[in-house]
Amino acid sequence: MDTFLQLVLNGLMLGGLFAIISVGLTLIFGIIRLVNFAHGELLMAGMYLTWIGTTKLGLHPYLLAPPLVLVLFVIGVAIQRFILQPLLEARDAHVQIFATVGLSTALINLALLLFGADLYATPAAHVRDPILFGPFRVVVGQLVMFGAGIAVVTGLHFFMERSFLGRAIRATAQHRAAAQLMGVDVNRIYMVTFGIGAACVGLAAALVAPVYPTSPTVGTYFVLTAFVVVVLGGMGSLHGAFIGALLIGLVDSLSGFYIAPDLKEVVIFGLFILILLLRPTGLFGLGRGSE
Amino acid sequence: MIDWTGGRRLMLGALAGLGFGLTASAAQAELRLGALFPFSGELAVLGDESWRGLELAVEERNAAGGIRGEKIVLVRGDAVDNNQAVAEARRLISVNSVRAIFGTYSSARSQVASQVAELARIPYFEMGAVSDAITDRKFRYLFRTNPTARDMAARSIEMVTNAVAPGLSVEPKALRLAIIHEDSLYGTTVGRFQAALAREHGLNIVETLPYPANIVDMSSLILRLQAARADVVLQTSYQNDTVLFFRQAREANFRPRAIIGGGGGYSLRETMQAVGAEVIDGALNIDFTQFAINPAAAPGIETFVAAYRARYNMEPRSGHSLGNYVGAKVFLDAIAAAKSFSADDIRAAVAAVDVPDGQTAEGWGVKFGPDGQNERAKMMGMQWQDGRLVTVFPPNAAVSEMRLHR
Repeated sequence: MDTFLQLVLNGLMLGGLFAIISVGLTLIFGIIRLVNFAHGELLMAGMYLTWIGTTKLGLHPYLLAPPLVLVLFVIGVAIQRFILQPLLEARDAHVQIFATVGLSTALINLALLLFGADLYATPAAHVRDPILFGPFRVVVGQLVMFGAGIAVVTGLHFFMERSFLGRAIRATAQHRAAAQLMGVDVNRIYMVTFGIGAACVGLAAALVAPVYPTSPTVGTYFVLTAFVVVVLGGMGSLHGAFIGALLIGLVDSLSGFYIAPDLKEVVIFGLFILILLLRPTGLFGLGRGSE
Repeated sequence: MIDWTGGRRLMLGALAGLGFGLTASAAQAELRLGALFPFSGELAVLGDESWRGLELAVEERNAAGGIRGEKIVLVRGDAVDNNQAVAEARRLISVNSVRAIFGTYSSARSQVASQVAELARIPYFEMGAVSDAITDRKFRYLFRTNPTARDMAARSIEMVTNAVAPGLSVEPKALRLAIIHEDSLYGTTVGRFQAALAREHGLNIVETLPYPANIVDMSSLILRLQAARADVVLQTSYQNDTVLFFRQAREANFRPRAIIGGGGGYSLRETMQAVGAEVIDGALNIDFTQFAINPAAAPGIETFVAAYRARYNMEPRSGHSLGNYVGAKVFLDAIAAAKSFSADDIRAAVAAVDVPDGQTAEGWGVKFGPDGQNERAKMMGMQWQDGRLVTVFPPNAAVSEMRLHR
């Protein structure tokens, strides 16, 4: 029983990690309707920046979260403005997706050029220390990620529901042309949305870097799971993505123990297909109402 | 546009003529040998480190008058991927007319390039690729000096039975052994050999767990090892999964009595730094001969390190240069002893090589089996001690005592 509870705890904590990485992706997915294949590489870039900030400036990785959020917001806005927006007029919407694939490959190779293939470990004072709850153990950094995941989802939820900009973003997601007719500057909304999505990755990078070693391909390890989380939760649904992430974390942890570590992906993707068959819009999808 | 094309044709023609002229004059007093390594791409660092070993061996030989008065000239081929490895092997053989090809560091590239050489009847000398499949094909002109994945597995099991168990004052059979490995060809090959050899020795395997190398969470795997009460963990891994395993084992307070790793992930300094010197302290590791070894067991290693420092103005980046240096010396000696530079004479001379154990700077000897594999090649047992990777096994090569918990 102790082992089972520890597995559940590990699964929830892993879910927190997936959640914090997936939030930005679901935002971009749900509102811009863009599959951003460079999402993992934005995380990778943020993790390298965290590594630089901790080793060269001697700062705690968590202190780097606010500047990283800002830097990645700017990077996100720039990507939307200078790479994706010019492609909006392209005959085929898939061109944008290919552009993100290209961006992803370019960023990985840029990192290989700058940092080499070696791993970089971000120093982390106490972040990797375990906390004991009776017989159970949780790592500080994971608990922080879990809490941050809840905070980001709640914060973004209120932002989308209450603020003027949030409403404009939702309006654009629901019907782009109608929003435009109502005076919403769609291009600006897309830039802001991509910026917010990337900013979430900035926060994720500052929290993930101290618990997970950084390498040029680190983004590819997470991005596939992030896509599953996003689709499972219902594209664009923030709390859906959070619950989807916890679910994937639990399945990962339990199947790794009770079945086999090399079969956990079989279980995760099997479950994924099953849920899509039963609920094609995901667990918390908006259904047919949205565009 | 037309002018440009015409100009280019003219230039190509001139270049071809120049190339021809060079080839014709070179044939008189030069022995040309191919050097096929990944010089660019993601394997470039260790590919280049391997090349340096070959280069040093050739420069040493040339300084001593070359082979039968002929100066050895190395022609480089860049095996950046499998297709390129094939193309470069073809170029070396047909355009540069090399007498033999040396290489290759990467197993996959060795596998395909050696096939080209075999068909062209050109000797292929492997000094770094570890996949057993390369020599399992029993090629006529293919020889390999370095130890393979099977040797890695054999050494790890030998270390369990001959060093870890006696060190803990228990019977080897009483140890609860767990084998974990990443599930690509590399980890699977070593893991299978380990399981087979452990069963042969009657050891008690409590878990065999393959996992994908891009795994992001090993906590369930570690819980399984804890549930199975594993005493000794054998891990064959890359860097990312090695770091993850040590970090999460510490977080879960999993402390087996010995952890024995294999190769890449465990030997790198960056792994130790990422995990922390105090966390990885005591971890055992099987790999090619490294530099912290008793020089009496590896005669010539000090000369090599001195030559390397003088030539490249830095410390060797890994043991790959040493392995290639030792292998290249063996093959160059054999070529010098051959009746002529024809493939069959070189082959006969290489097949006759007989260097007793402990007589090379790698610590092992050389005797090729019918499949072309060096039957005396062995891996060494190392341990992380106070932030340094030192040789601890076999005892005659050790520079430090093996340290075991409890």
